[in-house]
Amino acid sequence: MKKYLMCAFLLLSAWAFAQEEFGPKGPVVTLSDAPVITVTQGKAVPVPLTFNVAGGYHINSNHPNSDYLIPTALKVEATTDIVIGKTTYPDGKNMSFAFAPDEKLNVYTGDFKVDVLVRPLRSVQPGKYVVRGTLKYQACDNKACYPPKNLPISFDVKIAKAKPAPVANPAQSPHAHN
Amino acid sequence: MVKRNPLILFFVGALVAVMLFAGIRTARNNRANGPANGQLMGATAPDFDLEALDGKSLKLSSLRGKAVLLNFWATYCGPCKVEMPWFVELQKEYGPQGFQIVGVAMDDASTEDIAKFAKEMGVNYPILLGKEAVGLSYGGVNVLPTTFFLDRNGKVIAREFGLQSRSVFVDHIKEALGPGSSERAQK
Repeated sequence: MKKYLMCAFLLLSAWAFAQEEFGPKGPVVTLSDAPVITVTQGKAVPVPLTFNVAGGYHINSNHPNSDYLIPTALKVEATTDIVIGKTTYPDGKNMSFAFAPDEKLNVYTGDFKVDVLVRPLRSVQPGKYVVRGTLKYQACDNKACYPPKNLPISFDVKIAKAKPAPVANPAQSPHAHN
Repeated sequence: MVKRNPLILFFVGALVAVMLFAGIRTARNNRANGPANGQLMGATAPDFDLEALDGKSLKLSSLRGKAVLLNFWATYCGPCKVEMPWFVELQKEYGPQGFQIVGVAMDDASTEDIAKFAKEMGVNYPILLGKEAVGLSYGGVNVLPTTFFLDRNGKVIAREFGLQSRSVFVDHIKEALGPGSSERAQK
């Protein structure tokens, strides 16, 4: 049994040594499946987008504590049918890291949610529309930082027909004559 | 005494070799552009000519004869900020022995911001404005800080990714300077 364990250890060590990888092996930030939001023509609705920062990493919040730091920012592409409104970012967490124990950085870790306000025009045909954008972030771990990345994102917006506005009946005068 | 089956030993050895080979191949394939950092070890450091913060340009090969610490960093990089005061001290300490630190700023910040940052950190060595092509020639520089140590002939003798302890830098600097460098400096 000991022999097999030793073999397994040797193989794993060899693999780890050979890999000699540094930094993240995949994207540090990912977008969780965005819900399909149903919006009525002409109405504004926030679309919640949940992002995940991989374990062991942090990214700057939208309002980092230093001008030198690159804020996380979502850029949503304008469409002809849907007006893109305000993007609301969560507050970051003030955290200290091993490389600067006396300094507090305002960061996102784990899951964080960004709301994007969308308002389809009244004239838009009902149906499903895709909205695209990019999340710019710059990640670090306890030992190193990684160049800024742009994560492409997209979410679906289902546009429903607005109820027709009630037609106001003109007041009828009993004395009115046509 | 336990008798070891030579066939099993051979099998385990072969398996370890295959895993090593496969691992190295995977790691190399994972690196998108340029030579892998590891491939630079023992090779002459790729030459470049970059503009410094003072407006003058600096060619790496013009530093032949000196041991060089080539540090890729960025203003947004917290761990890089930790190393900079050490570099200031190390430049003072080992500079007279023929040692030169060169910083290459690899960010999109304006020259003014980089200069302001360098001034705040009291940097006493040249800071060059990095270009992507230079980064690619050094294996992509996807980790900051990334530091290369060049001997007096311009050969890469060591490289470090991410924040290291000060003693690691000292060891590599001594190795880059070569034996008897302190005695040479005193003469």
